Amino acid sequence: MSIAPKNKGGQPSRMKTNKKDEEASGNVYAHLDKTSVLQECRAFNETPINNKKCTFILTKLIYIIQQGEPIGRTEATEAFFGVTKLWQSKDVNLRRMIYLGVKEMAEVSDDVIIVTSSLTKDMTGREDLYRAAAIRALCKITDTGMLQTIERYMKQAIVDRNSAISSSAVVSSIHLMRKSAEVVRRWANEVQEAVSSDNHMVQYHALALLYQIRANDRLAVNKLVQKFSKNALRSPYAVCYLIRIATRCLVDDDQPDSSVFTFIESCLRHKSEMVVYEAARAIVSLPQTTPSEIQPAITALQMCCTSPKAAVRFAAVRTLNKVAMAHPNAVMSCNVDLEKFITDPNRSIATLAITTLLKTGAESSVERLMQQISGFVNEISDEFKIVVVDAIRSLCSRYPRKHTVMMPFLAKMLRNDGSYDYKKAIVETIIAIIEENPDAKVAGLAHLCEFIEDCEHDNLSTRVLHLLGREAPKTPNPSSYIRFIYNRVILESTKVRAAAVTALAKFGAQCVDLRPSIQVLLKRCLLDSDDEVRDRATFYLKMLTEAAESLIHNFILDGLQVSPAGLERSILDYLRSQSYSSAFDLRTVPVVQQALSQPEKRVPQLIEEEEKPKAPKVEPYAAQLAAIPQFAALGPVFKSTARIALTESIAEYTVHMIKHTFANAVVLQFECKNTMNDQLLLDVSVELEDPDGEWESKETVQINKLPYGEIHSAYSLLEFPDSGAISGSLGAILKFKVMDVDPTSGEPDSEDTYDQTYVLEEVEVNVSDSVQGVAKTSFASAWEALGDDGTREETFQLSTVENIPDAVKKITEILGLVPCERSDRVPEGKTQHTVFLSGVFRGGYEVLSKATVAVDPSDNSIAMNIIIKSNEPLVADLVISAVV
Amino acid sequence: MGFFSSLSSLFGMGKKNVSIVVVGLDNSGKTTILNHLKTPDTRSQQIVPTVGHVVTHFSTQNISFQAFDMAGQMKYRSAWESFFSSASGVIFVLDSSDRIRMELLKDELWMVMDHKDVASRGIPVVILANKMDIPGAMTAADITTALGLNLHRSGTWSIHSTCGLTGDGLDKAMQQLSTEVLKCLEARKS
Repeated sequence: MSIAPKNKGGQPSRMKTNKKDEEASGNVYAHLDKTSVLQECRAFNETPINNKKCTFILTKLIYIIQQGEPIGRTEATEAFFGVTKLWQSKDVNLRRMIYLGVKEMAEVSDDVIIVTSSLTKDMTGREDLYRAAAIRALCKITDTGMLQTIERYMKQAIVDRNSAISSSAVVSSIHLMRKSAEVVRRWANEVQEAVSSDNHMVQYHALALLYQIRANDRLAVNKLVQKFSKNALRSPYAVCYLIRIATRCLVDDDQPDSSVFTFIESCLRHKSEMVVYEAARAIVSLPQTTPSEIQPAITALQMCCTSPKAAVRFAAVRTLNKVAMAHPNAVMSCNVDLEKFITDPNRSIATLAITTLLKTGAESSVERLMQQISGFVNEISDEFKIVVVDAIRSLCSRYPRKHTVMMPFLAKMLRNDGSYDYKKAIVETIIAIIEENPDAKVAGLAHLCEFIEDCEHDNLSTRVLHLLGREAPKTPNPSSYIRFIYNRVILESTKVRAAAVTALAKFGAQCVDLRPSIQVLLKRCLLDSDDEVRDRATFYLKMLTEAAESLIHNFILDGLQVSPAGLERSILDYLRSQSYSSAFDLRTVPVVQQALSQPEKRVPQLIEEEEKPKAPKVEPYAAQLAAIPQFAALGPVFKSTARIALTESIAEYTVHMIKHTFANAVVLQFECKNTMNDQLLLDVSVELEDPDGEWESKETVQINKLPYGEIHSAYSLLEFPDSGAISGSLGAILKFKVMDVDPTSGEPDSEDTYDQTYVLEEVEVNVSDSVQGVAKTSFASAWEALGDDGTREETFQLSTVENIPDAVKKITEILGLVPCERSDRVPEGKTQHTVFLSGVFRGGYEVLSKATVAVDPSDNSIAMNIIIKSNEPLVADLVISAVV
Repeated sequence: MGFFSSLSSLFGMGKKNVSIVVVGLDNSGKTTILNHLKTPDTRSQQIVPTVGHVVTHFSTQNISFQAFDMAGQMKYRSAWESFFSSASGVIFVLDSSDRIRMELLKDELWMVMDHKDVASRGIPVVILANKMDIPGAMTAADITTALGLNLHRSGTWSIHSTCGLTGDGLDKAMQQLSTEVLKCLEARKS
């Protein structure tokens, strides 16, 4: 939320006196010494008070605090007490400086509360000049306990006729909401009155406060929007704010009210440009809007494009740019206007216009636009260059054939000077193009090789080297890259040298014919000055000369696939146990899908981010679980699932389940939330019942007390049954005792409780809970390395899915394995596709799978053949049973 | 000097500016007394417990006072002493009907009177035995004995019975304060 800049009291007069000084000797405050200023503060204690001198000293004091100079608490408190004595002066300027000083020192000094009465006096006094500033200062120093004593004055100030006072009281209340929301909520009536004020600022601020007061109550917010959308608000700021609230309502609600949308749409015809833009922006940002709904908004933005004000044009183009991907057809109608902006003197507008055109334009216009933009790409700031790079990236994924135009352009940009973020965006774009488009691979790798020849950022060099190690050996002419990599070993810093050695080793591992020459290069690396580089070289040399092919695969190509935090915990536990008789078992470490060396991918800013459920992280839960004594003996967590809702989100009690898989057991964590403000729940537990009688809960941990609005977890422990089943579905019932409480205070009405149950959705334990997906870099060799003992094959018809991509997704979900080598991407128009899946079964058994999906062209039915391999035949049986 | 000061006081101008500190336990009537000393049109209708301190202005015949009205509650009492150094006089207000807290009162009063900024500078301390109108209140003489004031040798002090609501006894006390303050300032000058 934005609040208009505060009116800093006393500023004009200060500016006037300063101006003379500045002309004489620049900024008089520039080289202040903290100690001497604090020394000067002693002047505050003199009688009579020298107003001019004290004002100047106080200004200096505020300046050094503003500059972030750390001041000790005792020193600050001493200075603050000095400031309190200045109240005896009647000088207006000094008094207003005092308010500023008090506000600044509120954080750094002790006992600021002692000026409460002085400020209350000024706030209720006759001098209007003091009142607004006193309110702001008072609200800054007060705490919840004290707030009650000034509550009466605040209520009066909110409805004061003077707009400056009313506005400052409302804005201060917004700040107070953070600390003492309960007290501020009681002022709703006064705030409501302030919303009907004639003053634009007061109305805007009051509306913002009113919304914050009601923000937790969706119904009340809805009513608020309904009410104010009918009787027009005078202030354009308030209308803009109302549009934002209305948008929030539409996004959050499952069945949005059409009148709310009508209101936003009517704002498109408001007389204020700001409101029109805000409404248009709100409409285009809404999810699930039809083209006919969006059209008026786009037209409004188009109007904004013709505004003489650069800020309005910029805002309009920026918004068009943002929605270009979501509604390309609608934005296309603005192309004529956008074309005009290409030559706009404001480079920021021009850049955004061109990138928008790149996103919406036809394939044929790409060359022309690229030429335009390369004309001035050197003149724009790095931030906008990144926007250009992102546009190119999305363009390349739409028109893969255009990479011949884009690659040289990117390479040219890469050669120019730029910040780290800018270079990083380009390198990431090139990498993305290489990965998506095999045709561009050779050219892209060549550009990157050239880049690392002269790269000042170690991070980027190591990333490129990693990519070279992975991709280059598969190109037709791998030996040509080795020179570039070996140059790094000679020239660069330690970090890059080590990465280069690893890259070399990967060439050696994958290209057998190059292996002898790689060994020669690695031997030279043995003489390196750094330990890490020598260690790596020694290790790889040993592996390449002596080890078997399968070992080379496991240790050079695949890398360590464990979660770093998990590894740290496991090693710590091992060291603490003090028993070194058995070796450290890496299989006890929780595994992750990505290898340790894999960097997180950055999503380009311009492509709309998809709302994905956050990937489950083992670690935060592991610590929680370890704290519960009943589960201590289970060992490390193998896998934790995402949160699964067991109730509707609007139910009285909401429950989310997280499944934690251990070597021989599953712990179900139930996150319960009580949304009834007049109930206190006691002894909350979840009872599970298996209709087949195979699963039973061995241990439950209940929640003793669940007050309103809080989230606590109950747990149930299930052991894998002896029958060997690894899946099942169980009925779940939430059981608890209810104690009625007073909604406002939370105090129980009486000691009586009554039992209650609440039926939850069924709890499912699946095969995928026992399997953690781990990607293999080279699937084929891993497939060969596993023997044929544990191979199971199955063929069946799929009736629930319609096409191949859906089928691939489904099988991945069911098995809990992850696709390797990007085999989950199904080329369009193919009638048959094979996906390679890999993962680890709990206990550390490897599981690999080849699934071939085919469409029968005669009746469009889908058939799947799946082969599952594991180093433990039993595991293969279990996994295949999940599919059948 | 004598001629000019009498002349200026005759015309009511050139009043001396003097700052004083008003202290005393909570609920003894400090703010009420100061409220009564103000001109009728600046008085406030409602008196609430002071938090921290408030600066009040009032004047007698020849002196214009800036009074630091300090809060009497326990947690703010430590703030009193930081204001003594710049004050030319101290008013100590006490509740003469509050027999229970006499011992605490004695400690606080002696602390004030023995404070280095008060004792060494010889600034006058005027004790106001407030709430004399309440039936059963102690007399000024009783309080002097109870507080052991006659044992206090150093410094100048005087005690007056007052009533903050009606203003009884305040005039005399302020007269005394003005004289003492002027005497003290005179002594320091010479």
